[in-house]
Amino acid sequence: MRFLLVVTAMLLFCFGCNKEKLPAKVDGRSFAIQVSGPITTVRNLPADTIIGFNSIGQPVGSGRYSFFSLERGQWVPNADSNTNRWDLAFAGTVIRVNNQTSGPGLGGAFVQTGTFESLLRVPTDSVFRVDNHPVSYAIARGSGRAWYTYDGPTNLLTPIPGRVLVVRTATGKFAKVEILNYYRGGITPSASAPDSVKIKDQRFLHFRYTVQLNGSGEF
Amino acid sequence: MPLLAQLDTLQILDEVVVAATRQEKRLGNVAIPVQLIQRKQIQQAGSMRLRDILQEQPGLQLVTGFGAGLQMQGLSPEHTLILLDGQPLIGRTSGVLDLSRVSLSGIKRIEIIKGPSSSLYGSEAMAGVINLITDNGVKPQAEISLRYGVADTKRGWGIPFSSQNLEHTEADAQFSFRVGKWNVKQSNNYLYADAISYRPFSQDRVPRPLSRFASQSVVQGLIGKKIDLRVLTRLSQDLFRQQFSVQNNGVTTASFGRERNNEVVFQPALTYRHSASLTISTKAYITKYTGDQELRFSSPGDSIYKDRFEQRLYRLENQLDIKKGSTSIVAGLGVQLEQANSTRYDDFSNKKENSVRYAFAQWEVKLGHKWISVLGARFDHHTIYSAALTPKWALRYQPNARLSFKGSIGQGFKAPDFRQLFLNFTNTAAGGYSVFGAAQAIDVINSLNQLGQIAERKPDFLKLSALRPEFSTGANVEINYSFTVPITTQLSLFRNDINSLIDVRHVATRLDGSQLFSYLNVNRAFTQGIELAVRWQLYKSLSVNLGYQYLETADKEERSRIDQGKEYIRDVSGAIRLMNTNEYAGLPNRSKHQAQLKLTYEPAIDRFVNLRVFYRSRWTIANSNGNTVYDHYDEFANGFLQVNLSGGFSINSHLVFQAGIDNLLNYQDVFYQPNLQPRTVFVLVRLKMPVKRTSTIQQSKI
Repeated sequence: MRFLLVVTAMLLFCFGCNKEKLPAKVDGRSFAIQVSGPITTVRNLPADTIIGFNSIGQPVGSGRYSFFSLERGQWVPNADSNTNRWDLAFAGTVIRVNNQTSGPGLGGAFVQTGTFESLLRVPTDSVFRVDNHPVSYAIARGSGRAWYTYDGPTNLLTPIPGRVLVVRTATGKFAKVEILNYYRGGITPSASAPDSVKIKDQRFLHFRYTVQLNGSGEF
Repeated sequence: MPLLAQLDTLQILDEVVVAATRQEKRLGNVAIPVQLIQRKQIQQAGSMRLRDILQEQPGLQLVTGFGAGLQMQGLSPEHTLILLDGQPLIGRTSGVLDLSRVSLSGIKRIEIIKGPSSSLYGSEAMAGVINLITDNGVKPQAEISLRYGVADTKRGWGIPFSSQNLEHTEADAQFSFRVGKWNVKQSNNYLYADAISYRPFSQDRVPRPLSRFASQSVVQGLIGKKIDLRVLTRLSQDLFRQQFSVQNNGVTTASFGRERNNEVVFQPALTYRHSASLTISTKAYITKYTGDQELRFSSPGDSIYKDRFEQRLYRLENQLDIKKGSTSIVAGLGVQLEQANSTRYDDFSNKKENSVRYAFAQWEVKLGHKWISVLGARFDHHTIYSAALTPKWALRYQPNARLSFKGSIGQGFKAPDFRQLFLNFTNTAAGGYSVFGAAQAIDVINSLNQLGQIAERKPDFLKLSALRPEFSTGANVEINYSFTVPITTQLSLFRNDINSLIDVRHVATRLDGSQLFSYLNVNRAFTQGIELAVRWQLYKSLSVNLGYQYLETADKEERSRIDQGKEYIRDVSGAIRLMNTNEYAGLPNRSKHQAQLKLTYEPAIDRFVNLRVFYRSRWTIANSNGNTVYDHYDEFANGFLQVNLSGGFSINSHLVFQAGIDNLLNYQDVFYQPNLQPRTVFVLVRLKMPVKRTSTIQQSKI
């Protein structure tokens, strides 16, 4: 009896607050999506992972984006890239929003300084930027500009703590996104790790987000 | 004076020091904090390398990267001047003068001055000065010593002549004799070591056998009755070899590396002693350093990487010393020419040059028996950057025999070096980046931009301009107190405020994402700390020396960003929050705590055992959590403890046997301290023989 109670309690606990979705796969690499209350956490999402080296020895991926729907909490097949079904697309350090040069949606984004938790509503004076591929992006590329710093000498990329991406989805809803890590397993390699590890484990994005489906800017 | 376990306090205060005031002064009468390391202390440690001796001194921290550099009062190696008889040694890599390079053969003592000393020595004497004093060889004798040591990284204890071990052999021969009125001292040192290095970012050991040769001679004598001539010559050569193969995607690349560094020093000095109160001395100084590196891949055969660096320094200096009653005055003038050629700059054939004209003066006055005041200043005029005026004032107050106070405040400066002005370096390895000297960065980046190669120019690009010297203001306070029981204590406080510190900044990005860096005067920083030294003569034959340094450092801009709530941190759990000021770790590569303990047991004058323990607390390696400052959640190297043990006895007055174990606990840290040698057992034999004073005896007969 007690055993049953414990099991029921555990099941209730698991289903009540945590909704674990089955690990999905992109290009044969599995990633995980976990929902905990209003926060969805995505781990190990491949973002154009390294498949080899180009003629001048630089690591390169296949050039394909990972499309993701914040509203539905799912990876979106590349075939749907020209639809409103995705909100963010990831390839290496590039994050694109579904609007203008990137897609047919109402997407947009800007970078807010502060913690994820303390951002309770989208500020009323917010200006959402859009992509102008390949010249500029709503979420700027480059070390120290939007969400990451890259250190040439150690060859490591680290998300900047205290940066929240405020995103307008393809259908015009609001979300806040925090990039957590850029490496497989969610742990940045040590500065003294071999370059081979730093290369093969990079471009696995970890992020968490909250999307407000009722259309308001309150989180 | 806790360092000198072997000597009584009174004797110590009688020791002569030069570097503190550029005049020979009894240590007890110097207003500026000075530490002395005597020949005996060097010999008891059983090492002939400057690195090994300085490692054991309170308040000095050895840091790795481009060789063993010296961090003093929390300032980086480029801010401490290393002098040989008052003239600077050259040949720094990335600002670091590798202390393992410097042999102590023929050096009779080492003076350590902490606090800015640019008022006497000019550029680079920002944190302080290390002055090596060469031996004149007044006592004719021959001294030969042989050291053999063995270590084994895998087994922990080295077994002589086995295949896996790392052995080193050091031979040292010093002769001093008299020819007529001339004292001659010749010192030679040769070291061969099976050193190892680790392939970057791996645990693969790579044999890197090295040999170091140094030869030094000092000839000194009187011309007439009043003129003293002294000529110092020093040659040294270091040779490293390295052979390793790298496996990458099943392809093995074998490579062979060779590095050769040569150093020549020539220093003639004429001193004219006009009277007891007036001395005029003229010194010339010529030194040249060459570093050659070559890396060759076995296939393809034509892939050779070559690097050559050559630096020359010429100097002529004239100094006037006036001593009258309680006042003494030092005044001097000098000219200096520094030249460098390097493949690391735009082109080896392009000679880089800077000339300096300088003048310095110092006025010292004794006020009664209790006060000494020293006021000095130096003016340096450079051809390629702005001039520098650096004053200093020091005061000593001794109310009674047991208590004394020393206080000083002064300015230090460091002129930009050739690397910061002219470097042109590109790392093509993964994630490639380039570093350009400030004099080149604007042109190089603008021309790359015209070719459409630049993706973005960072805000720091607009700040690129002519580099200015770095300036600092340093204050030092020292309290010495001797208890009735044989305990002496010394408490020192220091603070250095640095303006316009030169830092490497990301100034532009290429289209392929690789970063371009250059040097800018950007930071304002401070270092401050407390140093404590205690010497306790427990018994007649047993003494304890304890040293401790507490250090705080900060980049002032970073700290104000944290105070304004602009910096966030990611803590151990991955949670992100606003950063607290107490989570700031300050400047990188600094340890908060550092301590030394030395136990010396000396039952007789010719027998000793000593145990030297030193500790360094953890230090930051990389900013691993993405914010722009170093904090408690970044990547740290572990703190560590090293223990060295040595002992010795003499058979008779000629023969000394010594043995010891360096790194007794066999502490190793492959990633962060690849140069730390494993536990090494060594034996040393020293033979001393007096040389007949043939010429003097004949003279006395006549």
